[in-house]
Amino acid sequence: MTSKIFRSIFATSLIVLLATLAIITTFLYDYFTNIQIDQLKDQLSIASVGTEKSGKEYLEDLKSDNFRLTWVANDGTVLFDSQADESTMDNHLDREEIKEAFETGKGSSSRYSATLTEKTLYEAVLLSDGTVLRISVNRASGFVLLLGMAYPVVIVIIIAVVVSAVLAHKMSKRIIEPLNKLDLDNPTENDAYEEIAPLLSRIHKQNMKIERKAAELNRRKEEFELITKNMREGLILLDKNRSILTINSAAMTIFGTDENCVGNEFLTINRRHEITSAIEKALTDGHAEIRASLNEKEYQFDISRIETNGETVGAVILAFDITEQADAERLRREFTANVSHELKTPLQTITGSAELIENGLVKQEDMPRFVGHIREEATRLVMLVEDIIRLSQLDEQTELPKETVSLFDVANEACKVLSDSADKKDITLSVSGDGGNIYGVKHLLFEVIYNLCDNSIKYTPDGGKVKVDISETEKEVKLTVSDNGIGIAPEHLPRIFERFYRVDKSHSKKSGADTMSAQLRQKGGTDAVRHSANGGTGLGLSIVKHSVQYHGGKISIKSEENKGTVITVVLPKNE
Amino acid sequence: MRSRFDEQLSILNTEMIEMGALCEEAIALASKALTTGDVSLAENVSAISSDIDHKERDIEARCMKLLLQQQPVARDLRQISAALKMITDMERIGDQAEDIAEIITYLEGRTAEETVHIRDMAAETISMVTDSVDAYVKKDTELAKAVIVHDDKVDEYFDRIKGSLIKMIAENSENGEYALDLLMIAKYFERIGDHATNIAEWVIFSVTGEHKSS
Repeated sequence: MTSKIFRSIFATSLIVLLATLAIITTFLYDYFTNIQIDQLKDQLSIASVGTEKSGKEYLEDLKSDNFRLTWVANDGTVLFDSQADESTMDNHLDREEIKEAFETGKGSSSRYSATLTEKTLYEAVLLSDGTVLRISVNRASGFVLLLGMAYPVVIVIIIAVVVSAVLAHKMSKRIIEPLNKLDLDNPTENDAYEEIAPLLSRIHKQNMKIERKAAELNRRKEEFELITKNMREGLILLDKNRSILTINSAAMTIFGTDENCVGNEFLTINRRHEITSAIEKALTDGHAEIRASLNEKEYQFDISRIETNGETVGAVILAFDITEQADAERLRREFTANVSHELKTPLQTITGSAELIENGLVKQEDMPRFVGHIREEATRLVMLVEDIIRLSQLDEQTELPKETVSLFDVANEACKVLSDSADKKDITLSVSGDGGNIYGVKHLLFEVIYNLCDNSIKYTPDGGKVKVDISETEKEVKLTVSDNGIGIAPEHLPRIFERFYRVDKSHSKKSGADTMSAQLRQKGGTDAVRHSANGGTGLGLSIVKHSVQYHGGKISIKSEENKGTVITVVLPKNE
Repeated sequence: MRSRFDEQLSILNTEMIEMGALCEEAIALASKALTTGDVSLAENVSAISSDIDHKERDIEARCMKLLLQQQPVARDLRQISAALKMITDMERIGDQAEDIAEIITYLEGRTAEETVHIRDMAAETISMVTDSVDAYVKKDTELAKAVIVHDDKVDEYFDRIKGSLIKMIAENSENGEYALDLLMIAKYFERIGDHATNIAEWVIFSVTGEHKSS
């Protein structure tokens, strides 16, 4: 802008200067020409009077360098010329001013010389004797005049250019300065030209608008971040080049990255083929779902394409932690498989025995044994089904009738029932402590103590000790079942409460098997052997865990191999 | 023009990561086949290996085009030349995974015995390859240096495996062929470790401009 203003000012002053010069020159030239013509006329009239009186002699005396006098006779021959020899001169009758003077008494004309550098002014007058006296003067033409003036004019122009350049520069700077100093952040507080006031107020309005928009955007961004930050699910937004636009903290944890990955391609945080190909699939088909395990956890990834006006702009990835779900699913699958297996085994024994009896292969004296087997296995089936029903009741969280129960009494009751099997192995089963009144479901609490003691008796060698102790604090009752049995290896501890989980893969074999089971073993009936030895269903500890949970209690287990196991149950009194 | 060049470089980067991921997948699959004795897994390895070969040619062509058309200098030149070197190592990793898979098909379902440590060696090698690709992705020279140091561990495993295989043959000469197959597999894993080391060295070169030639 400065240079534009400078150029304008400079050009204007230059044009004005040149125009003035041209106009003045023209006017002055005309003015001086007129003055010269008047002078010529005066001199001619003086000369004509002299010539009429004294003739040629007067003219010869009248010498002048400035002008030329020519005396022409009426036939056109030159009688006298002040600057040339009259005898060599042509007939002047055809000259314009002379012709005019013969006709009207006066004549005037002007002619340019051949080179155009000079202009000759002529004035002629008819004398009383019929001759014509002509006076002429040479003068430079306007063009030559200008050429002659060139030197001073150039100097003037140079001075003018320099002066106007300096002035233009300064002026343009002065004009621009207030504009440069405008404070656009506070446009209304400026004290500059009033012409730009509307512009400033407009800027002010737009500033306000931008501020409002920015604040709103910021607020929205914060909202979005707050929401995504507290999401348990991982959320990643990708643009169409698979670069990360947004990633929330859950997703950062899942992919083990930090916020620096924003702007990079998704590949840089994870390059698992199944995930990247799922993203590709989502970008082409619109949606993709995959499950993948990352860092020993199971995740489900839901990937959807984002479209605006039918154009793909990116994709959104949602990651759900489905580890628990996957575990639960696995447990359910295992449970179903186990249940079918556990139900099948006693049935196989029953079918086998019944078949043998049916075909008459059993001697009469063996009959009671075989029937006994059938009964035993049927009882086992009933037990198993009862256990499963109990477990599913606990799973369903059915409301069961509650009453105030003395845990000490329940423990004594359970030990009484178990005394036979304890006596068989010569195990000392003792109950200590007292009271322990809690508000709960009696048969579930009975199951807890019964199953824990039953387990302890089973896994304690002959002559061992199983102790039940009950103690209470103000709000809780603590039940401890300890034995000096074979213990549980640490790797099994986390899983012993799972349904049908068995630590003792070899334990049952040690117990030996009768002929019947030996026959069945070929049909894959090894479990039957184990059960007939232990009489358990594999669901006992599961029932214990769920019963304790039902009462809002906690169960913990400490065990050392070949030294013994201590299981502690803490139950709230709920009185 | 420059932005087009940057775009091309970023595509090259993406393709390198993809090729790295393919290598990881190939050796992970080979190692899984080794532990489970599942021959069908081993057959998939050769498919991945041919993918790796294609990728190598693609990347090579892209690098050549970039070098000729853009005439990169300094860091860009380093990145492209390092990429050219790295893909050779990656391609070798793919081939060696394929070789391992091929030997597994000869084992007729026998898996690597736990006493031989070959599974541990496989796990170490996989983590080396993963780390070297990670180092490339993150331009992490520290991680790349860790990979180079890690190679000694894999070499150590190789010596240990060799020792236990000698013992195995001495105890029962019928196991001779099996032991030799395992030795070959161990050697291939050891080579993969070396290639991962090379990749790590080129990562350091592309970041710092210094290549540790040892």
